[in-house]
Amino acid sequence: MTISLELEGIQKDFDGRKVLQGVDLRVEAGEVFALVGPSGVGKTTLLRCVDFLLRPDGGSVRYGGQEAPRDPGALLALRRRIGFVAQNPLLFRGSVFYNVSFGLCVRGVEGRTLEERTYEALDAVGLHDFAETKGAKLSAGEAQRVAFARAIVVHPEILLLDEFTANLDPANVAQLETAVAAYHRQAGATVLIVTHNLFQAKRVANRAGFLFGGQIVEIDEVDRFFTNPQDERTRAFVRGEMPY
Amino acid sequence: MHFRFAKRWLVGLLAAAVLLVAVGAYLSLPRAYLLMATTTSTRDTGLLPYLLPEFTADTGIQVRYVAVGTGQALDAGRRGDVDVVMVHAPRLEEQFLSEGHGLCRNSIMYNRFVVVGPAADPADVQNATSATDAFLRIHNASVHNASATFESRADNSGTHTRELDLWAAAGLDPSTFGPWYETTEQGMGATLTIANERDAYTLSDDGTWYAREASLPYLALLHAQDEQDEPLLQNPYSVIPVNPSAHPSVLVDQAVTFARWLVGARAQSLIGAFTVNGHAIFTPDGAGGC
Amino acid sequence: MLTVAGDIVGITLLSLLVCATSTLLATLIAVPLGVTLGLREVGSQRLLRNLLFTLYGLPPVLAGLLVFLLLSRGGPLGGLGLLFTPLGMVTAQVVVVTPIILGITMSVVATVERRVKETAFVLGADRRQLSVTVLREAAAGILTAVMVGFGRAISEVGAVFIVGGHIEGQTQVLTTTIITDIAQADYGHAVALGVILLAIAAVVYSLLYRLQEKTLP
Repeated sequence: MTISLELEGIQKDFDGRKVLQGVDLRVEAGEVFALVGPSGVGKTTLLRCVDFLLRPDGGSVRYGGQEAPRDPGALLALRRRIGFVAQNPLLFRGSVFYNVSFGLCVRGVEGRTLEERTYEALDAVGLHDFAETKGAKLSAGEAQRVAFARAIVVHPEILLLDEFTANLDPANVAQLETAVAAYHRQAGATVLIVTHNLFQAKRVANRAGFLFGGQIVEIDEVDRFFTNPQDERTRAFVRGEMPY
Repeated sequence: MHFRFAKRWLVGLLAAAVLLVAVGAYLSLPRAYLLMATTTSTRDTGLLPYLLPEFTADTGIQVRYVAVGTGQALDAGRRGDVDVVMVHAPRLEEQFLSEGHGLCRNSIMYNRFVVVGPAADPADVQNATSATDAFLRIHNASVHNASATFESRADNSGTHTRELDLWAAAGLDPSTFGPWYETTEQGMGATLTIANERDAYTLSDDGTWYAREASLPYLALLHAQDEQDEPLLQNPYSVIPVNPSAHPSVLVDQAVTFARWLVGARAQSLIGAFTVNGHAIFTPDGAGGC
Repeated sequence: MLTVAGDIVGITLLSLLVCATSTLLATLIAVPLGVTLGLREVGSQRLLRNLLFTLYGLPPVLAGLLVFLLLSRGGPLGGLGLLFTPLGMVTAQVVVVTPIILGITMSVVATVERRVKETAFVLGADRRQLSVTVLREAAAGILTAVMVGFGRAISEVGAVFIVGGHIEGQTQVLTTTIITDIAQADYGHAVALGVILLAIAAVVYSLLYRLQEKTLP
């Protein structure tokens, strides 16, 4: 099942500073949407509001048209349909296998099924032989791939990626972008990817949106967004004239 | 998988805890033995490991004891934490009985207090004519030539009470004494150790003295009883079963059996035959209404 | 000689029983509580932290006195008949050891990276699973807490003397026997018991260290 993601009037303050000032955004079911903007503008904050790490001060988020349920059990069930990969992921103490299978364990999957699905995710990121390696011994690129496998092993319907290939070398970036595309194809998930890498946005996304001054300033098909942005702030950003 | 591992640890630890507590509980079962509170001095004489097994052999009743200060021993009786009390502090015993904490009292035996001090004996205690005279000499030597020090137990024990009685008999008031009069607030053994280290005089019961003599090379026994068997130096022991009216759970029957056995012929002869490093320190003196 | 050796064996075994039981019980109380409290936001913890740090300074003899008054026949829990028994000694030690393990666990858990909690959260962990995950990440530090707690237990003398009464054949342990040995000037025996005590500590610590090594990242 694929579900849409709708943000309406999202507001969030931090230490008195208004970071998000009424963000409106609709990500269609099954599409890949790139959220771009300069550093510190609130992209991560927005993602954290979607996945219940932060509570917005105003506005609402709708998942497949429904607001988040009050009932803790139903809320947990919804949370388990959303995946999140952070920029510098934290790997748990232990092996790669332990990390990748974590989400399955949490959901009560065990035994042969657990093993098969874990290896399936490891294969998707090309780390099949790393199953018994300790997480602490991995390079940054390998760790990020483990984090990605860890997120998709539970087949989330909404996948949130927060600058998840920043600081990686091109080979790992390419690996991960292929993995995203493959997952998106197989599962038909709704993907919201935050990036400041315009080329990446062009490569992976269907549409793109520009977050600036606490609001979404422009949304467009990804090709048009980058070749012919309407708003002059978007233009400045795309041309690289905005400081990161 | 991950969480099952944690669960297994938790279950394992809980099982171990239950097992250990069960063993502890078994060892802490409501006691079938008679529990006595007595003083550290009584313990230090070594009489109890000698005498108690004989009682058990005769009656089948096991006795165990906790050895603390006199005050705490009597308090244990007041609280009903023990079944019977054995102390040697006549005034405190009378108070205990008059307050209704004791059922009855049997006197068992007495040993003696002795004055010990530095071998060089600067106060010339060895030539004292009586215990009171000995204390007077110690006081004079300290005040006039600063040549003597005295260790007082200062713990409201039987020994301490008798020490105060001796000062009073010599017409002296310890509250006026200078720094030569030191207080240890500890048991007899510890006080003797301190006196040994500081070349000081002190009042000790003969049982502890003879038991510890070998480890106190700088001390010597300077004044023991004289021929009239000075009453001031007698240290009488009594046994008092705890009154069950406030604490019905005390083993009163066994306690009374114990009190009676102690004044019986067999126990009394055993007591008279007991020696500490070759010295027969106890004089049997069984009597009483239990 | 045989009875003396028997005594030493009995005294050593009782020491082991009392210390193991009290450390284990204190761990089972303090670790889950410490994880729960350590995970809470800092503000609500402050009052509790202050109370806990005061308990760090609780002199064990005072704890012993309080437990004594509690368990005495004249006291509120007198009906249990635990005074002058091994379980009474365990109780006193649990009172002394629990705040130590609790305090260190709370600190260790609070310094576990916030991201551990968040990562487990976004991977779908519920509250219980989150706590277990944090506990797992903090395992090495928690084992340190247990080691410090055990050290406290094995060296405890005042509280177990007061509550146990050092009764022959009943509540004599290594530390209380060392005290009475000194009072009776039996220094050789006291040192021997001290050596046994150190040996016990060495064995227990080496086992716990090995366990701790497995919990390092």
